[in-house]
Amino acid sequence: MTVHTTTEPILEVKDLTVEFETARKPLTAVDNVSWSLYPGQTLAILGESGSGKSVSTQAVAGILDMPPGRIVSGSASYRGQDLLQMPRKARRKIVGDRITMVFQDSLSALNPVQSVGAQIAESYRVHRGLGRREARERAIEMLAKVRIPAPHQRVHDYPHQFSGGMRQRVMLAMALALDPDVLIADEPTTALDVTVQAQILELLAELQSQTTMAVVLITHDLRVVEDVADHVVVMYAGRVVEQGRRDQVLTHPAHPYTEGLLKSMPSAELKGSQLATIAGTPPSLTSIPSGCAFRTRCAYAFEECSVIKPELIKIGSGSPDTAAAGRSAACLLDLDQRVSGLGTGAREVSAAHV
Amino acid sequence: MLGYILRRIAAAIPIGLIVTFGVFALVFLMPGDPIRALAGDKPFPPTVMAAKRAQFHLDDPFFVQYLLMMRDTFTGHFGTTFAGADIGEQLKLRIPVTLRLALLSYFFEWLCGLLFGIYAGFRRNGIVDRLLLLATLLILAIPSLVSTFTAQYVFGVKLKWLPVSGILDGFPTSYLLPAMVIGVLGFAGLGRLTRTSVVETVNADFVKTARSKGLSEGRILWRHILPNALLPVITYLGLDLAGMFAGAIITESIFNLPGLGQFLFQSIQMKEGGVVVILTTLAFVSFIVINLLVDVLYGVVDPRVRA
Repeated sequence: MTVHTTTEPILEVKDLTVEFETARKPLTAVDNVSWSLYPGQTLAILGESGSGKSVSTQAVAGILDMPPGRIVSGSASYRGQDLLQMPRKARRKIVGDRITMVFQDSLSALNPVQSVGAQIAESYRVHRGLGRREARERAIEMLAKVRIPAPHQRVHDYPHQFSGGMRQRVMLAMALALDPDVLIADEPTTALDVTVQAQILELLAELQSQTTMAVVLITHDLRVVEDVADHVVVMYAGRVVEQGRRDQVLTHPAHPYTEGLLKSMPSAELKGSQLATIAGTPPSLTSIPSGCAFRTRCAYAFEECSVIKPELIKIGSGSPDTAAAGRSAACLLDLDQRVSGLGTGAREVSAAHV
Repeated sequence: MLGYILRRIAAAIPIGLIVTFGVFALVFLMPGDPIRALAGDKPFPPTVMAAKRAQFHLDDPFFVQYLLMMRDTFTGHFGTTFAGADIGEQLKLRIPVTLRLALLSYFFEWLCGLLFGIYAGFRRNGIVDRLLLLATLLILAIPSLVSTFTAQYVFGVKLKWLPVSGILDGFPTSYLLPAMVIGVLGFAGLGRLTRTSVVETVNADFVKTARSKGLSEGRILWRHILPNALLPVITYLGLDLAGMFAGAIITESIFNLPGLGQFLFQSIQMKEGGVVVILTTLAFVSFIVINLLVDVLYGVVDPRVRA
């Protein structure tokens, strides 16, 4: 959608590793994760629950509970400044102002005893130093912007007086109040029904199109990725297994996990046939398989998969189109062959073993 | 709001009738003759006894006695005790004593309970938290009679820091020890409640939202955590009053404070049904009023119960 090869990333996460302390041994929830976000771009982080997608963004925003969480290594640069090394006070000037967040469950994510107006106005009062009345006026404007009917009256209402969809609009109004550079939306539509979900995503896309705001959209829903994302980062068991432009990843998945996800998506063409699933369940953090974490569920797995932990490697370097997007995946299969659509990329050895 | 208050008052009337009736019946059923007991071992002229019995309607049927007593209570003609003391006078002297005791113990309880509860909740599993849990467990496990006498013995008799009993040293010296005994007991419950509530609220999603808004920890505490964490504590405020009055009965008797609690205790011993009912009604009415205030306050603080 947007061309961003020349611009600098607005937010760049590098080699982020997050652990959780437990009574026994520390669990690695996020393992060496990197991604870049460019102005105006929508980056979807796709993964099942427990894949580390929320933990990684919470660590970046500095709202992860520490302890038990612990950032082992990595950096998160916003306009060249590392958010992770920054003192709390300096980070509060960025997170909440230039980088804001929207959460999944809007009923529990909003303060139940404060009016929505007060909660939106709070951002203006704290970060812009506006007076009570002016902040309230701005809050009303924001409510109107996210299309809440009768914003002048609704501004005095409390979260429980709104429907789920309206409440998520309030969250959005709160997050967009200061016209941020980056919006981190953590499963913003998961708790909503499908029609409301579509409305919220449309509204988000529309508001985004008016600015250069970049969006990190955390989701487990491929359909959401299909609808709004420019770029996709697929996570599995705390690691990035594949990332690239949305159209490429969704049409020619490189990683077997991405392929499995796509195959398990219902569509009109598949009507009447049984829906494919990925065998097994995602591993628990306490027992991540050796080597490639996905190998126990992978149809192409061969011996080396249990020994070598695959690193992200650039793929499609042969064709200029894919190389431009900086596409990569973490798999031992012949990925160039897979994405070019010439075969599954499965090794001869594995075929011999079967 | 006014309708709500009126409804609450209307609902309190039948409860009040049941309470007064029950209490009066219990005193009526107690064995022994109150007038005969007045004279102790000495002989009592039958004519005097008959006159006394007539004065207090003791020979009338139970229902008549109850109705007469209720009429006297609500018209303010409290009359005298069996021994001849003016009940109205007694109340005037004793209410301030109990009020001082209650306010002072409330002060101890709320100061310590909120302070320790909030701090322990924030520093969960810290040293203060562990100490609080251990100390309150001990306090709650020890019967209040034991702790009252122990406090009296240690601070009054042995260390001589505070008077053992009576109110000769005036306010606040005479009231400190009994108020502390009641306050510490209340503190145990309140401290634990506050701690648990704060712990739950600190981990709530909206606190995470507040952090993501880049607010200072102070603002998160005062604007987001405490208004939510203290909601259950407000309810405790009203319930606590019942415990306070029950505590006053024992404590005032042990520390010889001439308050309502001691009066009630003595009246039960003397089978003064009328006085017991007057005092019970007084306690009941203040309990209803305070809980009504708490409910109104709750509605102000929590928008979810307003609708």
